[in-house]
Amino acid sequence: MSGCNDYKMTRRQLMANSAAGATLLGMPINQLIAGSGQDHQAKCENVILFWNGGGMSHLDTWDPKPGRPTQGEFDPIATSASGIQISEIFPTVAKQMHNAALIRSIAGTQGAHARASYNMQTSFLPGPVQHPGIGSVVAHEKEKVGDLPSFITINGQARTASYLGQSCEAYFIANPGDPDPYLKFPAGVTLDQGNKRLERLEKFNSRFNRDTTDPRLSSTSTSIDDAVRLMRSPALKAFELDKIPAKEIERYGDTAFGRGALLSKRLVEQGVRFVQINRGGFDTHGDNFTRMREHGEVMDPALGSLLQDLSESGMLEKTMVIMMSEFGRTPRINDNAGRDHWPKCFSCFMAGGGIKGGTVIGSSDEDGGMPKDNPVNVPDIHATICHALGIDPYKEVYTRQGRPMKLVDDGSAIEGLLA
Amino acid sequence: MIRTAFVATLLCFASLSTVLADPGTIEEKLLSENQAKGINTTPAAPVDDLGFARRICLDLVGRIPTGKEIKTFLAWPENERRQRLIDQYMADKGFADRFSAFFADMLRIRSNQEGGNALLAYVHQAISTDMPYDEMCRRLIATNGKAGRTPEVGFVLGDDADPMALASATAQVFMGIRISCAQCHDHPFDKWTREDFYSVAAFFGKTRRRENNLTRTVYTTEDKMSSVMWPPEDESDAADRKPMKASFPFPYLDESEQLAFIQRFEALREKRNAKSQQTKGPSVDDLLASAGAKTKNRLSGVGRDLLKVSTEAKSDIRGIDINAELYKRSQLRRELAEKITSPRNRYFSRLIVNRLWKELVGAGFVEPVDDFRDNNPASHPETMDYLAEEFVANGFSIRWLVKEIVSSPAYQRSHAARDSDAAERENLEQAFLVTKIRRMKAEAMYDSLVTAGHLFEVKHMAGQNPRLIKQRIRVPVEMSDEESAQQSDADEPEALASNDAAMMAEQNMVASTADYGLEKAIEIDFDAVLAADDTSPMIDSMQKMSRDDIEAMRMAASPTPKPGVKYVTKLVERTVDDNPKFSSAYRMATPAPAGHFLRLFGQPARVDLGDERIENASMRQALLMLNGQLTHQAARVGPLEPVYPMLTGSGADIDKAVQYTYVEILTRKPSSDEITEAIDIIESGADTMTGFADFRWILLNSNEFRFLP
Repeated sequence: MSGCNDYKMTRRQLMANSAAGATLLGMPINQLIAGSGQDHQAKCENVILFWNGGGMSHLDTWDPKPGRPTQGEFDPIATSASGIQISEIFPTVAKQMHNAALIRSIAGTQGAHARASYNMQTSFLPGPVQHPGIGSVVAHEKEKVGDLPSFITINGQARTASYLGQSCEAYFIANPGDPDPYLKFPAGVTLDQGNKRLERLEKFNSRFNRDTTDPRLSSTSTSIDDAVRLMRSPALKAFELDKIPAKEIERYGDTAFGRGALLSKRLVEQGVRFVQINRGGFDTHGDNFTRMREHGEVMDPALGSLLQDLSESGMLEKTMVIMMSEFGRTPRINDNAGRDHWPKCFSCFMAGGGIKGGTVIGSSDEDGGMPKDNPVNVPDIHATICHALGIDPYKEVYTRQGRPMKLVDDGSAIEGLLA
Repeated sequence: MIRTAFVATLLCFASLSTVLADPGTIEEKLLSENQAKGINTTPAAPVDDLGFARRICLDLVGRIPTGKEIKTFLAWPENERRQRLIDQYMADKGFADRFSAFFADMLRIRSNQEGGNALLAYVHQAISTDMPYDEMCRRLIATNGKAGRTPEVGFVLGDDADPMALASATAQVFMGIRISCAQCHDHPFDKWTREDFYSVAAFFGKTRRRENNLTRTVYTTEDKMSSVMWPPEDESDAADRKPMKASFPFPYLDESEQLAFIQRFEALREKRNAKSQQTKGPSVDDLLASAGAKTKNRLSGVGRDLLKVSTEAKSDIRGIDINAELYKRSQLRRELAEKITSPRNRYFSRLIVNRLWKELVGAGFVEPVDDFRDNNPASHPETMDYLAEEFVANGFSIRWLVKEIVSSPAYQRSHAARDSDAAERENLEQAFLVTKIRRMKAEAMYDSLVTAGHLFEVKHMAGQNPRLIKQRIRVPVEMSDEESAQQSDADEPEALASNDAAMMAEQNMVASTADYGLEKAIEIDFDAVLAADDTSPMIDSMQKMSRDDIEAMRMAASPTPKPGVKYVTKLVERTVDDNPKFSSAYRMATPAPAGHFLRLFGQPARVDLGDERIENASMRQALLMLNGQLTHQAARVGPLEPVYPMLTGSGADIDKAVQYTYVEILTRKPSSDEITEAIDIIESGADTMTGFADFRWILLNSNEFRFLP
């Protein structure tokens, strides 16, 4: 059983789970699983996913094509990983490429935003059953650490947890740095007053429940205890960005995206398993280069500084940072200086959590139109993430209908990507 | 003498409780089925009057009773007050609201699907007018037309008019037969084969979802050329595949069998038809055939004479004929609809009886409620069939069925003793000898908080609730603070509108906690939805987009800054009058976004089949209840609510206020100890109003509030 089913059962099962965990301490479960599959140890504990909605151009970011008519306005620049060049819009990120890997041969099949986003975030194609996103899968499979929710999404939406259950649903932070009103007593209620209310409430409930054996009644009290523990947790400080020196914030670029990246670092430090940071605006049918340059100005300091900080603190070893989008864009530059949807070949950025730094997986043809070698299917990316985390991607879970469903849709971990 | 003998018999067989139940009732069937299983335990005593009032109000209108309603109830003679209260709430307009939520779950209605809101409004109207259940289902299964304009078509569009999805959905939703497994292989634990599945899908084989490229209007129609092919793609060469013949593989009562309940049903229908012929007015069918703004007036008879009604109905029928060229009728689906909704299809009546029984009594005869198969037998098959047959004989009237169930002793029983052993309690619950403890449904919980807190109307004076709003806005660098404040003012309506659109888009996505977003809602005006005319391409195009499309569009649309202008983010502050008011959960876009109050309390996503409501408690529910605005605002005392004069001024009487509040929030009178305790809480507050808010907050957060008596 996972640690992520719904409430009334969890307590006992959680106990049972942790007991089982303890007996296996000599050889952690994730290593056993990893050992049975491929030849590596699961190092990854947390994931930070940057979701770039709209379909980010691979040609103007991770897979430049210098000297070709498809190149566009940007020149490639050298990076800290020898032999790997990326677009000039990423000067800070370039200094971290020795920590990162690129996949340049994703062979997507979906050219419409909705279907492609679904595919990229769940590994499945849309169908009669709603599939959970990768963040919910991680929250479902990895034991919760610390007081904060396991799965947090920033600045936008995450997929639902669907059949994995409500407790694997993402906790949504609209604006990094803004206080979450649900984590403290409402304005007008003092701390002392709130605490007194809680004490009295406990009296009312135990009187009503009496000696109940009915978990439907007693689970309310458990849920209140858990909520109060979170409200009083020192870990909540991670959300308070206003106490961070302005200089630090500027390093990440003083944008919502930059603050999101900074927050994600603080959240994984508190044990949050999966942080998704969302940003749109990549559907550059027109004016692609102006817009991509601006995107670069926002993304580069945030991603670059995040990698640097995680690497310096050692967190990068167990934190995977991923940047992806639903598809790439056409090699052909259209009459509006834009690029259109292109799912047949695109790229993705991954670093940390066991990803082998300075690696490029696959390549595209000379114009970036088709994978030239080592084509990667979307579910393979998910299988790789699972593998790094010690999650069995083929583990079966059940939909509400009782239909067995794998965690990942038939992918296999990408060879050479994990150290 | 006879009387004495009767009493003697009663005493002798007191443990054989069937003797106490009238013959030909639910109770008699239930208890005799229990006895046959060797369960002779006497049922629990009925819940007390006030407990009954709270339970029936939550079940029939989906909220707790008001203090005023309880006062009236208690003034009625004891022997008739329960029946009178049932009648009152059955006639309340909240009845249709509450049962729309029930049907929305069952039919998987989603506001953001094509024609979703119109379908919801249609079902709401069907419940309001007590449209026979078989008729409503026939329309949902068989109708072609345009999303929104022909509201019934929303059901088929909910599954994108896909034959495979609709085969699964119609069998499971209307009959509780889970054939979806047989789409890819013969059913692993039931008798349905892959061929059965395809033969059902074939009924939908000619229906196509079409989209007008210009207006983005979505509609369904028939295409002679298209068919479901057999054998399946993975089993045969393309050349060997032939159009599948539609057929109905499910068991069916033989036409030759003369059954009393069917004869009663036929007699009733004949009478109804004769009546509608006689008046020469439009039948209910005609009236609802075209659900426009006029329909509402017609049904309520406001300012219309019969002649005019019939003229309008005729023109509407003509309208249908004109549309018929575009939205061709589906002969196959009409056949299927006839078969499914026939009184001779026991699955059809059993399914709805089972679902409503569970909804009201707490557990189904068959569980899961939509999983009928030989190796998953009903706990009380005769009781279920008795109800199913009577339901048919009473013209498939949902109102009849609801009333029959809530009037039965099985509905009105009290709970098992709190300290009873878990296994024993479950046995009693399964035998329907005690009432299972149920938590309020999400919508009922929301509306009960709003009702208890007098939040449907404002309760504070204007200007009493100033709130400082901080907004982050992006402004060009050169703009002064003053200018940016102005810009924020000017931007507001647009910003609000786009928030609403985002809410719509975010269904099944995640709601934002910012600014107490988990408790907000956009209200849908059902009448306006049904009245929406053809000239609203904007609405059509919004509705035709799936939430994924909308979300993707939102993500894709860049916040396009003007090139060459530098922007900075600024924090602007202003003060608004934030007098709290909430609207009903039954009128929100539905289902709410993930993480929203309603979803956290169990409202399902309504995408997958078999998605049941979960009643478990969770930490996030607790955060909402402890810290959210609903409980906070409901607890705060406003000068415009009835309790206010009991707390301040010359008429202040705290004792009375406590008693009043116990009735208002928990529908019962407090004990003297509880009054003392309440006064202690109130007095330890900074002032009376603060202390009283503390007291109410505790009641609203208590288990007693959220669990039905």
